[in-house]
Amino acid sequence: MINQSNRPDVRFENVRKTYGKATAVRDLSLSIPQGSFFSLLGPSGCGKTTTLRLIAGFEVPDSGDVFIRDQRVTDVAPYKRDFAMVFQNFALFPHLNVAENVAFGLRMSGVPKAERAAAVAAALDLVKLGNFADRYPKQLSGGQQQRVAIARAIVMKPAVLLLDEPLGALDKNLRESMQVELRSLQRKLGITTVFVTHDQEEALTMSDQIAVMRDGVVEQLGAPREIYERPATEFVATFLGASNLIDVVAVAAEADQTLVEAPCGRFTIPGRHGPGTRLRVSIRPERVALAKAEANAAIPATVRDVVYRGMTAHITLDANGLPLMAFVQNSAEAAIDWQPGEAASIAFPTGSLGVLAQGQA
Amino acid sequence: MTKLVMTRRLASFALLAPPLFVSIIFFIVPLGLLFWVSIHGSSSSELYSDQITAENYIAIISDSFYLTIVQRTLGAGATILALCLVFGYATAYVLAPLSPRARLWLLLLLSLPLLVSNVVRAYGWLTLLGRQGLVNVVLQKAGAIDAPLVMLNTFQAVAFALMTIMLPYMVISICNALATIDSYYREAAQSLRANPFQTFVHVTWPLSSPGVASGMLLVFLMSLSAYVAIVLLGGPRMKLLVSLIFDSAATFRWPLAAAMSFVLLAIALVVCALILMVLRPQRVQGRG
Repeated sequence: MINQSNRPDVRFENVRKTYGKATAVRDLSLSIPQGSFFSLLGPSGCGKTTTLRLIAGFEVPDSGDVFIRDQRVTDVAPYKRDFAMVFQNFALFPHLNVAENVAFGLRMSGVPKAERAAAVAAALDLVKLGNFADRYPKQLSGGQQQRVAIARAIVMKPAVLLLDEPLGALDKNLRESMQVELRSLQRKLGITTVFVTHDQEEALTMSDQIAVMRDGVVEQLGAPREIYERPATEFVATFLGASNLIDVVAVAAEADQTLVEAPCGRFTIPGRHGPGTRLRVSIRPERVALAKAEANAAIPATVRDVVYRGMTAHITLDANGLPLMAFVQNSAEAAIDWQPGEAASIAFPTGSLGVLAQGQA
Repeated sequence: MTKLVMTRRLASFALLAPPLFVSIIFFIVPLGLLFWVSIHGSSSSELYSDQITAENYIAIISDSFYLTIVQRTLGAGATILALCLVFGYATAYVLAPLSPRARLWLLLLLSLPLLVSNVVRAYGWLTLLGRQGLVNVVLQKAGAIDAPLVMLNTFQAVAFALMTIMLPYMVISICNALATIDSYYREAAQSLRANPFQTFVHVTWPLSSPGVASGMLLVFLMSLSAYVAIVLLGGPRMKLLVSLIFDSAATFRWPLAAAMSFVLLAIALVVCALILMVLRPQRVQGRG
């Protein structure tokens, strides 16, 4: 992370937004650190787009306050706010050519013509479209339109760059290369970026921080690794990739670990929990340690199904009635040689287990 | 050219042929005949005399009587156009953001007057605007005026009456254009520091220009060829080109009437070209 200080560029204080009876965002408090790439991730209808539009001012909160760089903008008109936005369908002005599109914001804010031309040329070079200044949006491919939209936004040098699923309209290959490009551009400029997406892989790839949203609430906020490896709720655990969910009862606590009992056997989870506490824990399939059956295995299991996928294999297991999923790597040290019906021995590394918040089951 | 392309071209020509045929027989040929008539002298016994001449056109261009009427025709057209544009755009701007259903009903309501024939509507204006019409009677009773206002047989009466007929066409045309502008464009403009006025000037107006252009062409062409309202509300002295053409034809000066028709056609073409040049509706298609 470059240029990142603790001062937030965007802040929400108890923001609530409802449409009729539906609550889009409920009591949201959020700080987006300066220079960070911040993703709002969630399924459609989770309130992520509304959150973005609240920063832009296209939506006004029912209650609470929105700040951009310490300035309260809750009731400030969009055109007076210090942000720029890349829209889902790019929204390039069809009647203006590429240069005019990129110059639009500077022209509206009264930047002199000569200065404007230089800034536009620089922005177009940055997105590698220097030779396309005279083209019209209709004459460009999707990827080129995307770059124009980005150039049009960054030429404004805004406090915050808002990206509303800007890669959704592109095909898979282009999307992956744009992810890398967008991320390196963002790092180079050090521009605070809020990115809305429903694609968990995209969020993991690009973000410094991810806020996973559901039903207008941030379920978990953290770095991609934290979110993925230690999901706080069942929703986060299942929305970001596959997860094994296991119901356990605490048996004994020791230091900052707790021995728990599950139908499949006993194992240790992180954190102190009083004996008798009922918990639900999660573990990613690739973190399940799978070995050939041993005589005194803590958790014995039977292989039910093996799906060979080249780089990995997805193995379905049955551990005393508990269905489990394990992903194993196809590597030189351990080639995949599991057969359905085979007996196996599994272990859950303590550091790979996450304890889910209660009441989410 | 491949066989497929050939077949496709043939097919599209086959589709084009019937309307092309109709328009040649019923439009291009009569127009040619009309031009033929316009370049002949008039005759008391025939449609036109044998002598080929430009005298009809010269008369229109050199005679101040005709020139005044050409000027007045242009003035009336421009006035109606301007009034329709201002009121039409304002109305469409209010209607466009409504739900499609509400918009449909309000547009139908707006078009209701068009169900009444032009003649009946013109007589309606007579009863309102006449010397003893409703407006004068009410104003006199209220003591606002001493003598009745002269409202009939004026340029204003004609322009106002024509505007009320043309307005729905303008509103419908602009409303459709405005309603199809994606709200993303306006938000994009705002995200780029455009205030509401700038957003209108630089985004909404240019993107609505196809609707404005088609509305303006429609209104101008209809106002050039309007007849009933001009005769009934303009009276014998407020003559426009159309009424003059009618008068000439009625007095058997066919070549002069034909020449004036061509002058009218030329005015229409020039003004249409001007409207398209100024509004550049094709720019919305992203071709400069």
